[in-house]
Amino acid sequence: MSAADRARSAATGLDRSRVALYLVLLAMVAFYLAPLESGLMTAFKTPEGFRTTTPFALPPIGEFTVSAWGMAFERLSSGLLNSAMMAVPATVLSALFGSLAAYGLTNLSWRGQIGVLMLFVAGVFIPYQAVLVPLTQFWSFVDLGGRIPLAFVDEYQGLINLGITHVAYGIPICTVLFRSYYATIDEDMLEAARLDGASAATIYRRIVLPLSVPIFAVTLIYQFTQIWNDLLFAIVLVSDPSNQVVTVALNQLQGSFVQQFNLQMAGAFVAALPTLVVYVLFGEQFAKGVAGET
Amino acid sequence: MAQLELDSVTKRFGEGDESVLAVDDVNVDIADGEFLVLVGPSGCGKSTTLRMVAGLESITDGEIRLGGDRMNEKRPAERDIAMVFQSYALYPHMTVRQNMRFGLEESTDLDDDEMDERVEDTAELLDITELLDRKPGALSGGQQQRVALGRAIVREPAAFLMDEPLSNLDAKLRSQMRTELQQLQDDLDTTTVYVTHDQTEAMTMGDRIAILDAGELQQVATPLEAYHRPANRFVAGFIGEPSMNFVEGAVDGDALTADGFRYPLGESVAAAVDGSANATLGIRPEDITVDGSGSLEGDHTFDATVDVVEPMGDENVVHLSIDGGPQLIATVDGLRRIESGTAVTVEIPEEAIHVFDGSSGEALHNRSLDDAELDDRRV
Repeated sequence: MSAADRARSAATGLDRSRVALYLVLLAMVAFYLAPLESGLMTAFKTPEGFRTTTPFALPPIGEFTVSAWGMAFERLSSGLLNSAMMAVPATVLSALFGSLAAYGLTNLSWRGQIGVLMLFVAGVFIPYQAVLVPLTQFWSFVDLGGRIPLAFVDEYQGLINLGITHVAYGIPICTVLFRSYYATIDEDMLEAARLDGASAATIYRRIVLPLSVPIFAVTLIYQFTQIWNDLLFAIVLVSDPSNQVVTVALNQLQGSFVQQFNLQMAGAFVAALPTLVVYVLFGEQFAKGVAGET
Repeated sequence: MAQLELDSVTKRFGEGDESVLAVDDVNVDIADGEFLVLVGPSGCGKSTTLRMVAGLESITDGEIRLGGDRMNEKRPAERDIAMVFQSYALYPHMTVRQNMRFGLEESTDLDDDEMDERVEDTAELLDITELLDRKPGALSGGQQQRVALGRAIVREPAAFLMDEPLSNLDAKLRSQMRTELQQLQDDLDTTTVYVTHDQTEAMTMGDRIAILDAGELQQVATPLEAYHRPANRFVAGFIGEPSMNFVEGAVDGDALTADGFRYPLGESVAAAVDGSANATLGIRPEDITVDGSGSLEGDHTFDATVDVVEPMGDENVVHLSIDGGPQLIATVDGLRRIESGTAVTVEIPEEAIHVFDGSSGEALHNRSLDDAELDDRRV
């Protein structure tokens, strides 16, 4: 066999395995995207359209409509607003508290910190379901609306309760995320700052916090997605319909007699949109944070 | 500016049976404006000592005083000291200017203009003015080193602490910075403690050097004193490159004997070693005479074979074996040609030998040298 032949057969061999690889990848992409594609197609169909075609087919001529999107947006708008009002502060607060706790547990040394850290780690593993009853009892006992005479607190009591619950529930995982990042911060640098006269609080504010941007991006995206998508706490803790969050509103798009699949699909996309926006906004920092860059 | 005193300073890590004694009863008085180099092998406790002075490590026992004030309980910020770290420890998100201002902002009441002025002046002194608006990530190692120095100098502290500040630089830059740092310390006249494991830095930079081993202070002396009058075998071996030769032997009347080696001792040396059963003979490589012509004669000459020759340019490092006896390292002039494998005669002149106790390592006899000469050469 000449060298040229060998090269050609190597090339075809390579081609075959390449082709196989791409086919497998393509199949996996199709498998992964099929539900999304079906949802998107269904959302643009009239009821007649989604009854007469398969879910992933294009809308038939004459059966294309955007009315489902309009209606979904209309029925979810107050839920979107409520979710945003609750999820944004809750996300920021849990990240901030997690960051502070991680700084205290990682970069400062004091007696008994390992024990406290263990409590935080244990907190990560408490399942939502396990705390539903104590949680409802806790909030009926605390009764913020009755104790704080502010119209705002009274009006949004359900959302405030839900937000605080999410903050408390998010602190352990945020702390663990921040801790692994803070463990890589140069110890000498923090000591240099101490010698420069900075207090522990100043070191956090002027050195640690500015260096935490990538890990904040990771934590914010993670926490926002968690809090935004939560249904369980929202159902249990929020009874007032005016305080309803988007996941609960989405759940109610399910009709009792007629299944309006186009409306449900459009609603699902509308409800998921903010989490996508957050990914796009913090994407670059997120990648840095995941890669562990300082 | 102030005098820094370490009085019986001890550091013990851990508690009970598992505790480790890192620094054992160290006493050093560092005069105002003095440059003291703390030198020793890795793990000898030199960095721990420095960190205790800085307040980054608690003091188990003893007292550290700066300008007469007890420092033990003071927080690092209250001690009026600045430290330069081996890793430079610059704040990566701040510009050089902000890095240098940070300490001023946190520890002084200066107004903005005064701070800017101090930063500008220090930057000029260190020739880093054009770097002021860059961030540390955009600087070379040498430039970062200067900024780290600048950050310490700008605060005008009572004392500088430097923890191996040059060890991350390449050899050429290191020797350049060594000279520069000495000049700077001379100009500023600030009490400085400089930690290094590099004996060249210790010899060339310090007014005095303090040699530590296993947490214990071995000797505090001027570089030349430590070189010519080492207090013990450890100091003798640590200071000097190539190291001093040691021949371990027994004291046999007026001679020192080892396998295939007998070195007759003169009256005064014999008197000094009297009472020790074992002793170690020490001789610096440059004090050994190597002769290929066979004209050397006397009690202190030995037949030897050249094993390896390492040409350094200015000198040749010659590894020798005394026939049937110990191995030695000698240095000879760089222009002399010596081939490995040749038979030579070596002389170990008695006026240049050191003798250490075989068990304790204490110096029993040091080379004869005019004390006046030692003082004259002091910088």
